[in-house]
Amino acid sequence: MKKILLLFILSFSLATSYAQNFNFGAITLDDVEFDRNKIDSNANAVVLKEFGTASIQLNDSKGITELIFEYHVKIKIYNKEGYKQANIIIPTYKDGTREELISTIRASTFNYENGRFVESVMDKKAIFTENRSKYTVLTKFTLPNIKDGSIIEYSYRLESPNLFNFKKWEFQSDIPKVYSEYLVYVPAMYNYNVSLRGFYKLSDTKSEVAKECMRISGTPIDCSKIWYIMKNIPAFIEEDYMTAASNFKSAIYFELSEQQMLSGGNQKYTKTWKDIDYELTSEKSLGSQMKRKDLFKDVMPAILKNSTDDLSKAKAIYEYIKKQIKWNNYYGKYSEDNIKKALDMHSGNVADVNLSLISALSAANLDAEAVILSTRDNGVVNKLYPVMSDFNYLIAKVNINGTSYLLDATEPLAPFGLLPLRCVNDQGRVINLKKPSYWIDMVAGRKTSTSYIMQGKLGIDGKIKGTIITHSTGYAALTKRKEIKKYNSPDEYVEKLDDRLAKIKILKQEIQNIDSVENALTETYEVEFSPVANATEGDLYFNPFFINPVTKNPFNLNVRTYPVDLGAASDERVTINIALPGKYTINEKPKDLAIGLPNAGGKYVLKTLVEDDVFSFSQILQFNKAIYEAEEYPYLKEFYSKIIQNEKADVSLKQTK
Amino acid sequence: MKSTTIFFSLLFFAITAFSQDNYDADLIPSNLKNRANATIRNEETTVDMRAPDNVILNVKKAVTVLNKNGEEKARLVLFYDKSTLIKSIKGEVYNAAGILTKKFNQGNFSDESAADGFSLFVDDRVKHYLPSENVYPYTVVYNYEIRYKQNLIIPEWIPQPADDISVEKGSYTFICKPSDELRIKTQNFQGKPEETINDKQKVMVWKINNLFAVKPEPFSPDRATYQTAVKIAAKDFIYYDHKGRYKNWQELGKWNYEDLLKNRKTLPPTTIQTITGLVAAEKTDKDKARKIYEYMQKKTRYISVQVGIGGFQPASAAEVDMLGYGDCKALVNYTQSLLDVAGIESYYCVVEAGSKKVSFDPGFADMIQGNHVILCMPLKGDTTWLECTDQKIPFGFLSTFTDDRIVLACTKDGGKLLKTPKLTAADNFQIRSANLNILANGDVSGKMTTTFAGSQYDDNEEIIDKPLTEQKKLLSGIYDIDNIYFNTINYNQKKSLNPEVTENLSLDIPHYAGLNNNKLFLKVNAFNVQPNIPEVRNRTKPVYISRGSTDEDTIIYNLPETIQTNLLPDSDKSLKTIFGEYTCKTVLEGKKLTYHRKLVINDGTFPPESYSDFYNFINEVNTADNLKLIFSLKK
Repeated sequence: MKKILLLFILSFSLATSYAQNFNFGAITLDDVEFDRNKIDSNANAVVLKEFGTASIQLNDSKGITELIFEYHVKIKIYNKEGYKQANIIIPTYKDGTREELISTIRASTFNYENGRFVESVMDKKAIFTENRSKYTVLTKFTLPNIKDGSIIEYSYRLESPNLFNFKKWEFQSDIPKVYSEYLVYVPAMYNYNVSLRGFYKLSDTKSEVAKECMRISGTPIDCSKIWYIMKNIPAFIEEDYMTAASNFKSAIYFELSEQQMLSGGNQKYTKTWKDIDYELTSEKSLGSQMKRKDLFKDVMPAILKNSTDDLSKAKAIYEYIKKQIKWNNYYGKYSEDNIKKALDMHSGNVADVNLSLISALSAANLDAEAVILSTRDNGVVNKLYPVMSDFNYLIAKVNINGTSYLLDATEPLAPFGLLPLRCVNDQGRVINLKKPSYWIDMVAGRKTSTSYIMQGKLGIDGKIKGTIITHSTGYAALTKRKEIKKYNSPDEYVEKLDDRLAKIKILKQEIQNIDSVENALTETYEVEFSPVANATEGDLYFNPFFINPVTKNPFNLNVRTYPVDLGAASDERVTINIALPGKYTINEKPKDLAIGLPNAGGKYVLKTLVEDDVFSFSQILQFNKAIYEAEEYPYLKEFYSKIIQNEKADVSLKQTK
Repeated sequence: MKSTTIFFSLLFFAITAFSQDNYDADLIPSNLKNRANATIRNEETTVDMRAPDNVILNVKKAVTVLNKNGEEKARLVLFYDKSTLIKSIKGEVYNAAGILTKKFNQGNFSDESAADGFSLFVDDRVKHYLPSENVYPYTVVYNYEIRYKQNLIIPEWIPQPADDISVEKGSYTFICKPSDELRIKTQNFQGKPEETINDKQKVMVWKINNLFAVKPEPFSPDRATYQTAVKIAAKDFIYYDHKGRYKNWQELGKWNYEDLLKNRKTLPPTTIQTITGLVAAEKTDKDKARKIYEYMQKKTRYISVQVGIGGFQPASAAEVDMLGYGDCKALVNYTQSLLDVAGIESYYCVVEAGSKKVSFDPGFADMIQGNHVILCMPLKGDTTWLECTDQKIPFGFLSTFTDDRIVLACTKDGGKLLKTPKLTAADNFQIRSANLNILANGDVSGKMTTTFAGSQYDDNEEIIDKPLTEQKKLLSGIYDIDNIYFNTINYNQKKSLNPEVTENLSLDIPHYAGLNNNKLFLKVNAFNVQPNIPEVRNRTKPVYISRGSTDEDTIIYNLPETIQTNLLPDSDKSLKTIFGEYTCKTVLEGKKLTYHRKLVINDGTFPPESYSDFYNFINEVNTADNLKLIFSLKK
């Protein structure tokens, strides 16, 4: 295993000439005249050329091996919007014992004036360092004399003690790049797992052996010398409804898997799931904390006193843990100390809370496992081999009569089986104390639905008075409960709501099941409002879409690059019955409509009718998937557009004499 | 120009104190819980001015967080820099029953640089801490001590820092030598401080109790103008090895000029030559100044660099000349130096910038006021103001960033308070005309031209230089209509003292007019619907409208041949109130439908009880703006 494991397929022509670093200050007329239309007519600045090299070297004076990273870039700035490219911030890591160092910063601005290049060299005094926080130092500088059309160039060297993640390379940034090249030298004694993320493929790559690239204690060591090249890379632009940007940005990542010691030994870093399973289950702050049945022995009879079957036992334990330990707002897959301490303090991180849950479930002889996962903002985990640093969260899984439930006890207002949205991210890995681990889909677990039922009466004064009852479940209920809990009382919450609904007056309110989270949250509002109505010659016009109308199309882009991630499927129903002041027939009304998304992705159904003196209205809006592919975007857009179209039509009623 | 140019490096948190030990949340009287997200149980703030370079601030404070919305009120944020030492921080957390559950100290605090956005260098640092509690209520008790090695800026006291905080008890104690000369400004404080004097010390104590939380009300005046506050300024001061004395704006401005600004205006001979050449052909000082201003805009860009005497001193003109960048102080000083070359007098003016209008207090001079610098040219009565940190803004236009407020001009004759120009309702106009065709299938397309000026110029300037894709995105946000497409986008800018932007669009809105059962539904006001405002009952605060505006829309719709030309229902409206005027009118001539709408909003402060009139006015405008016409189609 002397070679780097390349995890993507290499099928490139080897005819390309692999560049070395380019010369600083060698600005050409081609650079000056570079036409941004070749890459992106909207670009405010373009990276003309970018070259980086990383190698592992022995630092004799410090006596350690370290990573040397050298970076060099040339950027053309087109307009004032692009000036911020001349403000550079390089973050580096430090802690009590180790720190990354930036050195030999060189930076210049080149302006083409009167037929010649004028170089403004950045003064070293213009470089500032800032201790941003305990672990982060920022090196900052800005280039002098920036004008429209300036070309800036800078380079620096970074020395890092962190060999584990080598140095990732981001091909994609907020501006487009014409050419980006990364050259790495990896001594033969190190094995790295390499992964390319994002939507774009390498334009080229090549590897060769570099003989005797370093010496350790007099022993010459060979290196693998590998080039990664990407050309004409579009700028990365974030879109709505998308998870962590790191999932989509084109970049190359490294993780140390193995190191051969000079002594002949072999140190493994990333391993197989089999190794990981063994480590996690025997880990003091994970596996051991899943086995603390003893902590619950005394309290279990009291917890289970009303429970008969396994499911009700699990629910009782879930409720108990939610009350016993409050989440301290920290994520983690390991217990901070141990769950006994967390239980004593009534406070702990995510792992403390959910490891306690697992132990308690086990104490009631239920089949409980742990699931480690990565939250939505943390990106998706690598599936090809275990990357432990990808995982930042731990939940419980309990299996009852062939059904499994995913449980997270950190949200007191979440019902049994509803995972907080932050956990709903691709797949997690189930860790079992006795069996091998396996992947599982992270899904919400409970349905999200909202239903509005209105019974009302239209007066001759044009006002509608009535009662709206709303039932919410799943995320809709969780979000609302959290919102209500922000206020001192439901009254203050409703007052705020009343202020927000300018046209609707809330006369009376009642909110039920705020705390009994297993039930639907029920809000009952007595309301009064005047729908925008015109009455001409005994005809009555009004717009029936007054409950939660769709006024804006959330999908209004012409082109969508990334999948649309709504988090969870949802279902919204509106039913309205309004007693009319006398007998009417429908003159006109919005079209009854039934439209759907492809592959049963969702539907919208609308029906209105008048029978005798009652107007009734029913509407269903359903999304059956959490994630829609970019190809489905036009359908979503059209779907919403049709709904909005239809909502423009009024109901027109004619009085029957 | 939305670059926040905060240059004063010192922000103080003089929130204060206690001496009670029972933090049971049930002991809070219910009238203090009403509308409150947090209650300050007790606060004791003491400022001991032992010497000009040794001022000790000691704060003890107990805050009960009543619910999730009050969480941030428990956060302790302490800024510090080279002249500010945090000597100690101790704290405790109590649960709802008042039982101690946690202790913390300085080690638990995050320590970060106070820079926000891209700031090349900032001296300021910040320590902050928020207990991670999520069961309410709970109580946090802090006790911290800070030493200031200066007394130019003395921590002010604001016992009730927000509407949603109630205060059970609070006090502010100021200790100094009997001989120290002070100026004290109290705002909304009933009574007098308790005062004791002996040979060594003079002690003054201000006390308050039972300040209730209030419901936030929209269109309220700035809280800073009416909240209870005590501000103290010492006549003799020390600041970063600079000594000075002042008792009014005149003297403070003089110190600024003499100690911080003088002798920083030397320019290299080549630049002097360039400027001399540049203005040689110009006849008036104003034309010369315009040339110089445009030269400066082209040569420089704004970069925040907060160095030099605690962030108060500008970088030298020579440095800006060499680097081509600087912060607001440096760029104003540089522009002033260039104007000096042409013999044009100008004043370096400190201002509190932001869209909220905050004036310098004519009755109380201190160094806390202001966060930005602009330039004023008297030009023999034709006073002209320059914003120097924006490369795009027209000559002589300040925008809503610094309009209509009192600023401090630092001149060689000392400080002078000046007022920046106001943008009136007539200045802030938006005039639109559109000619749109409606097809039989409801599709709408046509051309639209809109001119923006005054504060509305500000809102639209930003979009001009954006790339086309970005403009399309922004416009579909501004014209919030489903399915709107912009085929051509074009902007003309009139960069004068009263600048204007004209936006020319050609657009398509498929299915804009709804078709249903042989009727065509048309919302005539497509682009400018006045949003509703919240209804507030029992209004307590005056109604404050900081800027007026005038909007005029004329839209011509060419209706399809398929419609039966009905009579229009009488939907014309005309309203007139102290808050403004509104008219809308629809006229149908053949197939040509003309919609005209004009809305004027007046700025000003109106009595609290008038809010319901304001609400009704806006509500009526909103209803009228949502007018939908229904046309029958030929069968």
